[in-house]
Amino acid sequence: MHGLGELEAAVMDVLWRTSEPVKVREVMDRLDTGKQLAYTTVMTVLDNLHRKGWVVRELHGKAYQYEPAMSRAEAASAALREVLDSSGDPEAVLLHFARSASDRETELLRKALPRKPRRK
Amino acid sequence: MTVAVALLLGAGLVAWLAPVHLKRLTASGSHPRVVLVAWLSSIASVVTTSGLAVTALLTPDHGAHAFANFPQCFDTLLHGSPPQVEALSGVVGVLLLAGLLVRLAVMGTRTVRRRARARAEHLAVLRLAARQEPGSPATLWLDHEEPLAFSLPGCPGVVVATEGLTRKLAGDQVDAVLVHERAHLRGRHHLLVTAADTLSAMLPFLPLFRQTPTAVRELVELAADAVAVRVCGAASVRAALTAVTSGGAPGSALAMSRDAVEARLAHLRHADQHAGRARTAVSCGVAGLTTMVLPPFVAVSGLLALVTVSCA
Repeated sequence: MHGLGELEAAVMDVLWRTSEPVKVREVMDRLDTGKQLAYTTVMTVLDNLHRKGWVVRELHGKAYQYEPAMSRAEAASAALREVLDSSGDPEAVLLHFARSASDRETELLRKALPRKPRRK
Repeated sequence: MTVAVALLLGAGLVAWLAPVHLKRLTASGSHPRVVLVAWLSSIASVVTTSGLAVTALLTPDHGAHAFANFPQCFDTLLHGSPPQVEALSGVVGVLLLAGLLVRLAVMGTRTVRRRARARAEHLAVLRLAARQEPGSPATLWLDHEEPLAFSLPGCPGVVVATEGLTRKLAGDQVDAVLVHERAHLRGRHHLLVTAADTLSAMLPFLPLFRQTPTAVRELVELAADAVAVRVCGAASVRAALTAVTSGGAPGSALAMSRDAVEARLAHLRHADQHAGRARTAVSCGVAGLTTMVLPPFVAVSGLLALVTVSCA
């Protein structure tokens, strides 16, 4: 049984591995989920992804053609930024292996230091 | 009243002075798990000793029959104030303690829920962008240049790593990083950090509570390093740590984790000499017991000293 999240990830994977815009039917054929999915299922997943801004689509004749809104690397950076930015707030728990500061972080820290000395 | 005051003083003394000694224990190269146990049981002990103090106020004879052979002066010393005052302070104490515990429960559940929600959102985005490598726990690989790795808790939790990690680090170093992250998940370190945050928010004016979040964050890193050292060797962990932390933009300093990283590198020098699992477990037990009995012990010795001085 595939959760919706896993289906979406599988569909994005297909889109990223394909260089040109594809139709629902082509996505369906290239999906490797272990079992044949219904056309409407794949269409719903693509529709959701479009709503979330992960794919763009264009009408060709009667059918939509889909392609990723951004490259896999861009998506990875965006995901990382979202997760790491919110982990700066003390509410989030994220255990990093270790983290080197970007220039911006260093600058922010330098500004914050004189006003807020660290408690030891 | 005197017994209750002595118990409260014992708890307070531990709450003020324990952090210094526990940090010294960490710096001396003790196994991080032992320090973690000592730290958390100190907190438990401070709370239970305060509970005992309140109970002592509400028990009319303070269990004084056990000291029946003591001279008459002990009885007055034991109370030191009229029964009504004792009963009243007892009720106030019970209310305070109950209020704190309720607050802890409410704040705890709220924090856990909020974090679970944020985690679910993060996980949804990460899953979409990543290539998933099945396993338990699964690893999500992100197409990103900067070498990064972290773990997200959950049922089951996941390890997130970037492909930059495999490009910039040698194979054994990547393994060390992944073993470290899996150790966080297996040791339920995220839960410990959440508990530490909640406790410190409850009683921020006591050093033992206030310093818990920082200490626990550092100790769980050390504990995960210890697991990685056992599996991959100290050299790989040291190399991985150095590679990841110096991998940022040229000339950039380490941010939040600078102190922690230095402590970890220093700790890796002791890592090879860590005792076996059984010895560590015994040390954990000893550390837990010692810290549990410490506040009442301080209180009783203080009380006995008082009795000796005034009833001699």
